[in-house]
Amino acid sequence: MDLLKHLRFFRAVADARHFGDAAADLGMTQPPLSQGIIRLERLLGVRLFDRDARGVRITAVGHRLLPAARDLLDAADDLVATAHELAQPEQVRVGVAADLEDGVPGLLRALADGGTPVLPTVAGSVEVVDLLRDGLLDVGVVRHPGVLDGLTAGPVLVVPTQVVGAGVGGGAGTGAGLAGVRLPVAVPPRHHQPPAHDQLVDALRRAGHGGAVLEAHDAAQRRALVAAGAAVGLVPVVAGEGGDSSDGLAGPSLRLRVALPHAAQRRPEVDHAAVAAAIQEAL
Amino acid sequence: MSRAVRPSAPSDHPPGEQPAVLAALREVARDAGVTARVHATRLTGPPGSVAQDDAEPVAIASLYKLPLALVWADLVAAGELAADQRLLLPGRTRVPGPTGVAMLLDDVHLTARDAVRLMLAVSDNACGDAVLALVGPARVHAWLAELGLPPTMVRQGSADETRAVLRDTGTDDWAAAQRTLADPDRAADTSQYDPAFASAATAEQLGRVLRLLWSRTGPAHTLVRDALAHQAWRHRVGSGFPHDDVGLLGKTGTLGRLRHEAAVVGFPHEHPVGVVVLTRAARPERHLPGVDAAIGELARLAVGPLRLPDDA
Repeated sequence: MDLLKHLRFFRAVADARHFGDAAADLGMTQPPLSQGIIRLERLLGVRLFDRDARGVRITAVGHRLLPAARDLLDAADDLVATAHELAQPEQVRVGVAADLEDGVPGLLRALADGGTPVLPTVAGSVEVVDLLRDGLLDVGVVRHPGVLDGLTAGPVLVVPTQVVGAGVGGGAGTGAGLAGVRLPVAVPPRHHQPPAHDQLVDALRRAGHGGAVLEAHDAAQRRALVAAGAAVGLVPVVAGEGGDSSDGLAGPSLRLRVALPHAAQRRPEVDHAAVAAAIQEAL
Repeated sequence: MSRAVRPSAPSDHPPGEQPAVLAALREVARDAGVTARVHATRLTGPPGSVAQDDAEPVAIASLYKLPLALVWADLVAAGELAADQRLLLPGRTRVPGPTGVAMLLDDVHLTARDAVRLMLAVSDNACGDAVLALVGPARVHAWLAELGLPPTMVRQGSADETRAVLRDTGTDDWAAAQRTLADPDRAADTSQYDPAFASAATAEQLGRVLRLLWSRTGPAHTLVRDALAHQAWRHRVGSGFPHDDVGLLGKTGTLGRLRHEAAVVGFPHEHPVGVVVLTRAARPERHLPGVDAAIGELARLAVGPLRLPDDA
């Protein structure tokens, strides 16, 4: 006999204190419910209910057994719910460095198209790293280099960048080109990832630019500075986005580097390696 | 991770100041893009120290030469070694290094004490290996154990470290190995960043080495302290104390992303303060003046609360 089904009968009658109402709650008719209760009483070897002219009352023994029956039924419900959750593909909590700018939507679209359900958080790299450490994210896409203590770091990926803005011709990223650029470069705030910021400033100077930068809190502000002719931009070019000709690309030292750290304590339901591979593919 | 401040006896600074010191240390490290372990301790007078993650063992690179010098001086003082013993460092068998005898071409004869001085003042790798061979690794380890220090502080000499880095980076000369470690497009790694495979110590243990070195009298230990005072560079801890009248004795350790220094800061008429700063930079480049300056800033912040007039 199906014990769980019959315990459900037991619980319904105990709650309704009426066979007709209990049958209605269960979406069945009264006779099979009554017979079910009798079968359960026979199996357990105890009387669960007293029936008389005034109705149905739970016995003392039934009262004793009711909590255990409820626990079993709740546990069965939990098991089914958990199985349903596991049947859904798990959302991967990905933190993406805001410094990737226009590359962010493309990266996330590529992950979604590849069948990886993602819950993205866009923030400064240092903040993403803190969230990873606290176990609030699964995988990060952060600017490299940065301090990644306590996290497992993957390989370094290199994203090409493009110098954009007024008076920037082809080859602006080469030493000679940038040397001629007098405007500051609009960049993300240094606190997003201090070592990566400092590395970029050193690279600008190495390329002949004065190294002057304007820290702007987001991509819209940087675009505005570039549009106004107050700065030139250094924009990541993510694979599959745009398809610009390569002549606006900045030199190797000015490329954006990213790392894919993940929490040292992984959630077992997240396939970190597959997500990292998908991100690598998308970049 | 220990972020402890041990009480320093007289309250010559207001209570509650030290948590602010620790917060400032964290902020400087974060701003410089380094992981920093800091231990500062007053070497004479009432005890007191400032500590940030100082119980975490890290690879110490050339800082192994500091406990090695202490062991050598102890053995000289005990009459087991002669300070003026003559050594031959054959050009053919030396592993090349950037300074001192290690960058020379021909055979070099010198005394043990001069090898110790070069090993400390210019971090001469050839002299470091020669002093380690002279004392013998087994005797070094036994003596460190006797002092209550981990033998792994001197797990190996410079030649072994160099060979391991060449092997890990797949290169056959030091310049190529350095280029590989410094490549910004890779996260190049070496076993020599790992305390399990390199000479390793905590900042607190190196602080104890300084304390022992300062507690000893006699010519051999004076010679070691004098060599530390002759250190050829002052860009790390020294950058935090740009005062001509402040004495600075130190020994650096450098490998790739690792930049360390153990130093003693001597303000006139104050108790000397030992300070150990061990850093690992996020950036791989060889030249990071900002990180060297941050080491000076970390040292200045840690030493500040420990300053105390010595006639008090």
